[in-house]
Amino acid sequence: MTQNLLSVQDLEISFRTVAGEVQVVRDLSFELAQGEVLGIVGESGCGKSITALSLLGLVPNPPGRVSKGRILLEGEDIVTASERRLRQIRGNDISMVFQEPMTSLNPVYSVGEQIAETARAHFNSSRSEAWERAIEMLQLVGIPSPERRAHEFPHQLSGGMRQRVMIAIALVCEPKVLIADEPTTALDVTVQAQIFDLFRDLQHKIGAAIILITHDIGVVAQMTDRVIVMYAGRKIEEGPVSAFITDPRHPYTRGLVNCIPRLSLDPSDDPEPLFEIPGVVPSPSDLSLPRCAFAPRCRNAFALCLEKSPPLLPVAEGRAAACWLETEKPG
Amino acid sequence: MVKSAPVVKSVLRKIASILLLLLAVLVLNSVLIYAAPGDPVEALVGEMGGATPELIAELRATYGLDRPLWQQIGVYLGNVVQGDLGHSLYYDQPVTTLIASRIGPTLLLITTALFSAIIVGTILGVFSAQRRNSTLSHFVTVLSLAGFSAPVFWIGIMLILLLSVSFPIFPISGMTSSDGTTSTLGYAMDVAHHLVLPALTLGLIYLAFYSRLARTSMIEVLEADYIRTARAKGLSRRSVVYKHALRNAILPIVTFAGLQFGQVISGAVLVETVFAWPGLGTLAFDSILRRDTPTLLGILFFSSLMVVVMNLLTDLLYRRIDPRIKTS
Ligand SMILES: Nc1ncnc2c1ncn2[C@@H]1O[C@H](COP(=O)(O)OP(=O)(O)OP(=O)(O)O)[C@@H](O)[C@H]1O
Ligand code: SF4
Ligand SMILES: [Mg+2]
Repeated sequence: MTQNLLSVQDLEISFRTVAGEVQVVRDLSFELAQGEVLGIVGESGCGKSITALSLLGLVPNPPGRVSKGRILLEGEDIVTASERRLRQIRGNDISMVFQEPMTSLNPVYSVGEQIAETARAHFNSSRSEAWERAIEMLQLVGIPSPERRAHEFPHQLSGGMRQRVMIAIALVCEPKVLIADEPTTALDVTVQAQIFDLFRDLQHKIGAAIILITHDIGVVAQMTDRVIVMYAGRKIEEGPVSAFITDPRHPYTRGLVNCIPRLSLDPSDDPEPLFEIPGVVPSPSDLSLPRCAFAPRCRNAFALCLEKSPPLLPVAEGRAAACWLETEKPG
Repeated sequence: MVKSAPVVKSVLRKIASILLLLLAVLVLNSVLIYAAPGDPVEALVGEMGGATPELIAELRATYGLDRPLWQQIGVYLGNVVQGDLGHSLYYDQPVTTLIASRIGPTLLLITTALFSAIIVGTILGVFSAQRRNSTLSHFVTVLSLAGFSAPVFWIGIMLILLLSVSFPIFPISGMTSSDGTTSTLGYAMDVAHHLVLPALTLGLIYLAFYSRLARTSMIEVLEADYIRTARAKGLSRRSVVYKHALRNAILPIVTFAGLQFGQVISGAVLVETVFAWPGLGTLAFDSILRRDTPTLLGILFFSSLMVVVMNLLTDLLYRRIDPRIKTS
């Protein structure tokens, strides 16, 4: 077996809270191959962003920490890496575009400087070389008159432009892995479509593997090769995107996919994340109960579901799901 | 693109409002002080140990004190508008000369106290924000509590008792010793030696204030999304803290420094009096006792002028640090 670019193994992330330590991510394993686009979907609070941060060694500590597992980037474990080594990896091997374009740029520095300093941090380039590179990147992410715009400050740019700048920062060192955490949630629909066009474009040009975190099943269908579905901190289904759309196995995934009345190829047709599954997300502290976390909301739940948590098992070639329906018959 | 027209317009508007403000301060001060009971001749006569009614009347006439109040005020305002702050009755000198001779020590005291408080406070705050449970952090909390609850006078007198009476390290009062050191360096050292206690007394409150402000501000900024971005880019810790966080964290400090300048001047009156520091504060205090109306009004006017200039300066500084101000 060839070594994957990124390999996450049995990841567990815990937060210290007033109620004691809670595990917000558990038993999470996945692989990412070179040039692949992996989608991660799931409801708000299921642990997508914190998983993404853990790949950069940026789980806020305290109160959080990676309490188990390994995150191997080309065989090197990020969980145990030194802060010094992590700084070399961040922005250079793995970079991230955040959910909040309006607040993710520093208001007191020009956008050109914020791109250039990233280049300077990782390459031995001079100020003027880095500035040239920043302008090149602005051009690449489709910002008109980049020489002029490079001198502007974040407040002078629209949300979409700011997110383009964030993408430019993320890509300036040509990372191996780009994490895009709901990169368009805060933007309006036409801008969303433009940003995704940009991602597709850049993926061809730069060839980075992408982890795309999103609420939007339309975006998943269009952009990704493979999908992981998370529920309450766990991976509950995984498979190629076509199977995810046409033949979802886990009742939660079925809920997600069926919520879309008509699967459109244009992400701008589905502005709102359509998670209309009845019930609420369980709080992490409920999860210590030995049962399927989805049981209180599951139409198909049966006795076993309330007694034991279902293991994640292969259901077909390259697919896995965590649901008792796959292995046991309701009795 | 830099659009200069709106900037010029806003500066002009600012200057206009400043002039109006100064005028209002001037009118209000002179009405209040002229209307207060007692006049300088009374005080003078008191010091002379009495005088004949004729002499008193003559003195009143010389100083124009026999005219109706509104006329006196009108004459005074007219003179000030022409740049003449009047003549001190007690010192028999133009008020501007008097102020000019006293402004140096006051500015020295105020700027030393305020700037050391801001600089040391910011350093304390920034370090304690990064280690919230460290000894330093607890020290900042205690310091700010103490600074807020203890009055200046009390701190000043305690410092005198401790550092110039029990342990005579620093002089009790004044700005120079009378032993007649001649070299410039020797003079500067002498003044600095005298400056320590008054500046410390005046600065302590602000040190408490700024260390707390810097700490709160820094803690807030360190949680900001753009700090997470800076870390995610792989920047060094130094760059994250001092380039990305500090510049944002000092914005409220600059704002407060501008706002508090007036407060520091009034604090200086107390401290100068306690330490017999030969500045505007002692002059103001003496002028009140001597009913030296032109001097007192001149000092008040001059102080408001300093406050206004200081506000303008901090405004300019703020514009330099925060690009959002220029265009919005
Ligand atoms: N600083 C923190 N302290 C305590 N709990 C936290 C902290 N940050 C995140 N969590 C918890 O971790 C869990 C996962 O959060 P995360 O931000 O990863 O969710 P998400 O899947 O990205 O949601 P969204 O779609 O809303 O972005 C949540 O239950 C949240 O309460
Ligand atoms: S295990 Fe049971 S409760 Fe859980 S999803 Fe499957 S059917 Fe529903
Ligand atoms: Mg998130």
